[in-house]
Amino acid sequence: MTRTLRNALLGAAFGLALAAGPAGAATIKVGVVAPFSGPFGVVGKSFKEAIEVYQAEHGKTVGNDTVEFIYKDLDQPNPSQSKALSQELIVKEKVSFLAGYFFTPDALAVAPLIDEANIPCVIFNAATSAITEKSPRYVRTSFTLWQNTVPLAEYMAKQGIKKAVSAVSDYGPGIDGEAAFKTTFEKHGGTVVDTIRMPLKSTDFAPFMQRIKDSGAEAVYAFLPAGPATLAFAKAFNDTGLRAAGIKFFGPGDLTQEPDLPALGDAAMGITTTFNYSRAHDSAMNKAFVAKHKEMFGSVDSVTFTSVGAYDGVHVIYQMIKNGGGKIDGAKAVESVKGMSWESPRGSLTIDPDSRHVTQTIYLRTVEKVDGKLENVEKQAFPKQPDYGYKLAK
Amino acid sequence: MTSVAERDGKGDGKAGRMTGRTPLAARRDLGWIGIPLVAAVGLAAFWLLPDDLALLTRIAASALFVLSLDLVLGYGGIATLGQAAMFGTGAYAAGIVAVNWNNDPFIMLAAGGLAGGLIALTTGALILHARGLTLLMLTIAVGQIVQEVANKARDWTGGSDGLSGIDPAPVLGMFRFDMYGRTSYLFALAVLVVGLLVARRIVRSPFGLACRGVSEDPLRISAIGGSPKSYLVVLYGVAGVFAGMAGALTAVTSGIVGLDSAGFPWSAEALVMLVLGGTGRLYGAVIGTAAFMGIHHILAASDPFHWMGFIGLFLIGIVLFLPGGIASGVERLGGLLRGPSQNNGEDRA
Repeated sequence: MTRTLRNALLGAAFGLALAAGPAGAATIKVGVVAPFSGPFGVVGKSFKEAIEVYQAEHGKTVGNDTVEFIYKDLDQPNPSQSKALSQELIVKEKVSFLAGYFFTPDALAVAPLIDEANIPCVIFNAATSAITEKSPRYVRTSFTLWQNTVPLAEYMAKQGIKKAVSAVSDYGPGIDGEAAFKTTFEKHGGTVVDTIRMPLKSTDFAPFMQRIKDSGAEAVYAFLPAGPATLAFAKAFNDTGLRAAGIKFFGPGDLTQEPDLPALGDAAMGITTTFNYSRAHDSAMNKAFVAKHKEMFGSVDSVTFTSVGAYDGVHVIYQMIKNGGGKIDGAKAVESVKGMSWESPRGSLTIDPDSRHVTQTIYLRTVEKVDGKLENVEKQAFPKQPDYGYKLAK
Repeated sequence: MTSVAERDGKGDGKAGRMTGRTPLAARRDLGWIGIPLVAAVGLAAFWLLPDDLALLTRIAASALFVLSLDLVLGYGGIATLGQAAMFGTGAYAAGIVAVNWNNDPFIMLAAGGLAGGLIALTTGALILHARGLTLLMLTIAVGQIVQEVANKARDWTGGSDGLSGIDPAPVLGMFRFDMYGRTSYLFALAVLVVGLLVARRIVRSPFGLACRGVSEDPLRISAIGGSPKSYLVVLYGVAGVFAGMAGALTAVTSGIVGLDSAGFPWSAEALVMLVLGGTGRLYGAVIGTAAFMGIHHILAASDPFHWMGFIGLFLIGIVLFLPGGIASGVERLGGLLRGPSQNNGEDRA
């Protein structure tokens, strides 16, 4: 038994040595830091699956070089650990790219590292506008709160809504959302009658519902972190009769992201959001992406905005490798993808040369049942939306 | 402070009697070897694992934090799940000082220690009249308050985005904090070793012995004229200085401070590491931290998706087979080696 095992191990080692040996081509490593375990494990899972789908579609090689992804688990916002893991990826694993990063502080922590090591960092999610200002080597393929909120606020104003109230969780992204909403909505002639900041950990929303009711607003702009809080908020909105009273519910699409829809259930029906991606997006490319995902992993339940964030992030990394002809100089690589445009499962994307953030189409969606399954059904598209928050929010 | 000095004689007498019951002598021997050992192993790791300095730096800074918890729990018997309040306060203080005024690493450390000590003294004076579960709840509450204040004071702390842009100046104007982490690690190791020396000095001082007396029998301390609460408050404050410095050390070496640094999970994790290493020994804090974070790192690197389950198994194993922590196992082993005559080296678990 042990002998068989030893032989197998020796064989495997030999095989690996052979495989690595003769090609003479380099392996380009990409370090991915994201939550792979714990409550946010689903994010890392969607990153990894999207990366694998991309590699299945486009191959694991660029030119002569093999692209290899190394995953590091960072299960919660913890910038000092984020920095240590990224440092290890650079120093020990000798990665040429850093990627991933779900939470803003984790992404911010690596700014000095990527500058010193001259390595591009492709952010798959972390959505605070200010991140890309901190280093010229950040590229972001996700979205920002400003990017999603500005078209929403404009739409609400065009709908003839005069008085609105904002209700956000009291933390960075929530306050970003509130600022974006208030600025835009008031610019278009609306009035924000109350700005409510709810403690991040609150689960009882009845008092806030009362405040919304008392404010006399016709509509509410809400942002909460995805998960139980959103669920409780949407339920409270229905239970306290605000929906029955005709108050309209709007928010950025994080609220109704695909993995949460089954848990939200019918409470989510009719919520109108703006976002950069819906699994139900109607395009050939998205259908192919979703189908490939289903073929490889058996289910599409985890396909959501983080999936396309990673998918397009890998595309940018592949492009940087291509542009450099296999040689990677961080600053030049980032320079080479500035202004680059391409088609993605979510629509057309362009990397804004200034903010290094993707300019993209933002969709207005409503939660509806499609074949018995809740989906964000796109109603309207706002093309070419930049990150309005770049060098603005402080 | 004078009251502490006056009490020297009595404290010593008490300690003498305690030695009879718990084998302080055995622990003392190991404690003496412990600190040079930490320094030696730390330096050896610097040469042997040059690619893992990022992890080693985090271990050193965390060990200092767990050490502060050991002072409180192991020597004062104060059950706390809010030690991260002091860590976070220290980290934010150091970060704010660095971003706004002065980025010298030693000044950052001093600011962190001062802030940690102050918050510990203030909150300690308010909550340390309670014992047991009530105290535990109060410590959690203090942690939550500190975290919420940090979240609200966005202009100073960056809120949930974290306080970034901390760029510490080179140590002594010569050694830059580079991405390979050599400076960071040696700096952190030096601070940890100095911290251990000072902590050892404190716990062996008459004050430290009096604190241990309070944790074992507060009534008796009152009977001989001491004030149990004031001992505990001062100890809590001293431990706060350590925790604050550990926070500052993390701010120096990582360049960013997040809300997690004052969070409940960090307090709880420190407690796990301390129990794992063994309480009331000082170096148990270092062993526990190194073991927990090292194993965490190895498991998470080999299987980033399911490592948490293995960590759980490891902890259950330790609790089942070494209830006094890893350090108690080391001591037992030491006792066995010295021969059966001295093999009363059981800890007071």
